[in-house]
Amino acid sequence: MSLVARHIEAEGIPTVIMGCAKDIVEHCGVPRFLFSDFPLGNSAGRPFDVESQTQTLELALRVLEGAPAARTTVQSPQRWSADASWKRDYNDLSKLTPEKIAERRKEFDVVKSIARAKREAT
Amino acid sequence: MTTTVPGTKAVFAEDYDVPISYMERTRDYYVALGYDNPYRWASFTEVPFAPLRTPLSLARVGLITTAAPYQPGAGDQGPRAPYNAAAKFYQVYSVTTDSVADLRISHVGYDRLHTSAADINTYLPLTRLREAVAAGRIGALAPRLHGSPTNRSHRATETGAAELLHRCRKDGVDAVVLVPS
Repeated sequence: MSLVARHIEAEGIPTVIMGCAKDIVEHCGVPRFLFSDFPLGNSAGRPFDVESQTQTLELALRVLEGAPAARTTVQSPQRWSADASWKRDYNDLSKLTPEKIAERRKEFDVVKSIARAKREAT
Repeated sequence: MTTTVPGTKAVFAEDYDVPISYMERTRDYYVALGYDNPYRWASFTEVPFAPLRTPLSLARVGLITTAAPYQPGAGDQGPRAPYNAAAKFYQVYSVTTDSVADLRISHVGYDRLHTSAADINTYLPLTRLREAVAAGRIGALAPRLHGSPTNRSHRATETGAAELLHRCRKDGVDAVVLVPS
């Protein structure tokens, strides 16, 4: 998505990305970025929370209007929860036994072959 | 959870309470699984910048998503569905913004442990954007929103980006909101 934003912006149309993966978006380098420190999948705000979603969009619109230069990141002040322990779980290797690793690898190979077959058929 | 700094009023966050290092964790994860060719994320030193030339209250805004149209017969795409590669799409698509299409995110790596994708508004701000138009915050929405395929080939992404730009131009947008899921 970052590459898409860059391409559109380079042709003169301003863009803003709303996202949760700060390192990946900033590593690529994008014009404007509204970062929500939420679990992946909540780029536009908290589930079933219209106020959170409205505030998130409003911040993104302000970034669109007010960014002074490229690589502007604004972090939403919203917190996912008071307890931040959810941040430890993503791809947490300490919870993986050798059996689990073998299982995950098998699953990943299946998923990859499904994606490849589908891509080739498209 | 927090830590109070002795002798002061300062309260520090826990060390792990920072934005997750997704690149590092993903790299480590696939190395642990036995893959020895780590994915390389795109990175550039130069970043384009085009100022917004129209006040938002007069501007036409476009929306680009990585969510996928629901595909009957392509397996579980519901809330907390396991990662579903069969639900992926490989061509840019466009759907009307007059109503909210059935778009899902079972084909991407969202956090299934801590969220569920049960509410489309967490990854597709279409209803909130329509409200912003009704409130006069935004001039108008583009008549259609566009779907950007998620795949791991940079070349395919470039082709998709050109097509998305073409469609945004056709829509006559003054600005674009992009929401990866």
